[in-house]
Amino acid sequence: MNDKTFFGFVSPSVIIMVLLMVIPLMTAVFLGFHFVTYSNLESPQYVGLQNYTEMLTDPDFWASFNFTFIYIVTVVPASLVLGFGIAMLLDQVTAFRGFFIAAALIPHIITPVVGSLMFRTMFDRSGLYWYLLRALFDYDFTMTTTTVRMLIIGQGIWQTTPFAMITLFAGLQTLPKQLMEAATVDGANAFQKLWHIILPHLRSLFLFISLMGVMDAYRVLDQVLVITKQNPLFRADTVMYYNYKVAVMFSRLGKANAMSILTVFGIFIVLIPFLRITYKQQMESR
Amino acid sequence: MEKVKNPIGRVLIYLALILLVVYSVMPFVWSLLTSIKYPIEANNPKPKLFGFTPTMMNYEELWLYMEGSAFVPYAIAMLVLMIVIVVFAVLSVRLQWLSKPVTNMIAVGLFLVLLFVLPQVAQMSKFYDYFLNSLVVTVGTLVVSISIGCVGGYALARYSKIWGVIILIAALGFRALPRMAFSLPYYFIAQMTHLYDTRILLIIVMVAINQPFTIWMLRSFFMDIPKEIEEAAMIDGAGRLESFFKVIIPIAWPGIITTSLFTLLLAYNEFLMPKILTQANWTLPVAIASYTSGEDAAYRAIAAAASVSITIPIIIVIIFFQKYLVKGLAFGAVKG
Repeated sequence: MNDKTFFGFVSPSVIIMVLLMVIPLMTAVFLGFHFVTYSNLESPQYVGLQNYTEMLTDPDFWASFNFTFIYIVTVVPASLVLGFGIAMLLDQVTAFRGFFIAAALIPHIITPVVGSLMFRTMFDRSGLYWYLLRALFDYDFTMTTTTVRMLIIGQGIWQTTPFAMITLFAGLQTLPKQLMEAATVDGANAFQKLWHIILPHLRSLFLFISLMGVMDAYRVLDQVLVITKQNPLFRADTVMYYNYKVAVMFSRLGKANAMSILTVFGIFIVLIPFLRITYKQQMESR
Repeated sequence: MEKVKNPIGRVLIYLALILLVVYSVMPFVWSLLTSIKYPIEANNPKPKLFGFTPTMMNYEELWLYMEGSAFVPYAIAMLVLMIVIVVFAVLSVRLQWLSKPVTNMIAVGLFLVLLFVLPQVAQMSKFYDYFLNSLVVTVGTLVVSISIGCVGGYALARYSKIWGVIILIAALGFRALPRMAFSLPYYFIAQMTHLYDTRILLIIVMVAINQPFTIWMLRSFFMDIPKEIEEAAMIDGAGRLESFFKVIIPIAWPGIITTSLFTLLLAYNEFLMPKILTQANWTLPVAIASYTSGEDAAYRAIAAAASVSITIPIIIVIIFFQKYLVKGLAFGAVKG
């Protein structure tokens, strides 16, 4: 394909990405240096680095990073382990496999706001899990900072496991049969096969799922908004939810934009190695 | 992998999978049950799985601005008209009055007209308006995003110079950036251009944020189609554009459906953008979030009815398009 046709074909996509992604990012940088609220949108007031210093000295900002970190290091490994276990189980069955997969996918593709609401109502007064906890363990579930955080993490695991499951299940289907047969002939037991053949075969997939998981976990917002009922007493803000709060509830648009720019730098720490790997792959395969 | 042969082992595997199904669907089933309970039953501290008197009251209150019984004739009329449309579509394809794509487009168009005429004749609630907003935004995003994504993705699949790689990497970077970084500038720009609180703004914005994903996925589907196919068509005298529409698109159709499904879900599920960019013209996720903040127990049954109403289209998608969904989700696994 020559240059002229190529640029003709990609121009709609590229123009919309430049207009609606590059320009907004530049606007975010611009607004980050200004004092803006909803009442002075037309006339932002230049304040230099003040928004950034305010943000970096804000304990709630660091607390939100702290909880996001806890969220990532619990949800991502848990969804990997659970997803792998379920993928192995699915690999064992042929009857009703489609049904099991369809049911397991529901938490992943349901609207996140709705999924979080459904998940939370199970623990509300007169919800099923609330009732079971009380009837079986005599434990009265009430919302506190700790339990709200646990609910958010639990919902995260419920929602992200199906993605790990389906990806790893697809990976298991490409496992070389001869290798497994050779291992059986050599007398390897199930654990040895798992450790020496299956896990190495799936290694790149584990990496891929973790990367996606980290990026998605970094963006968690709707779930926190629904599960905390927007109640500021529960100190369970994630980075994006705090960013949202600064913009929507505190009306500090300039400060919120400064925070957005800081979070963009944050994600680039994870993103740059990933982009480099992809760049190399693409350069080799073209 | 070789199968477990031990019968006890097999029973345990099936038990574990049934447990998985319960764990995955229970929140939905519970909301479904709550949504057909009277408020007093929905707030019962000893909740019942069965043995309560079911009611459609919550759905009536959610969707209608009139008595449920008064809505019955409208519901019957809608049903009859929909059956007529389907019969017309099937007949016109069978009798070859019209080609299949044209018939499908006419049928979908008539369905949409029906849905938009309904609130003109019957008193529907605000929730119905939000449903229509979601419908317009989702369909609009889908059509625009896939149309420009197809040409873009195809070009990226067939072009080997450095510019292609640069565009792909930039798109991947954009995809990973937090939505908040875009949404606040969008709010600012929307206020300046007076597009705030319009459906068209939501469509433009959703197309933009979904575009990186769309071109990546479509590109990989186009790469699976051998170059020789369109080269043969071009030798026969077709231009690049003609061979693309007449030869490539029909072959790439399954890939396009898969990508469309994901675009559809992304647009339908999106919360942050419509939340920030609308004031009255909410979409469904924004509307339901407004039911969630209060402690008021009276809302519980209604919120459950809203949850179920929003989820039903997604369940339909799973039932009819499971094959494509699984293919799309496992797409990372196959491509490495």
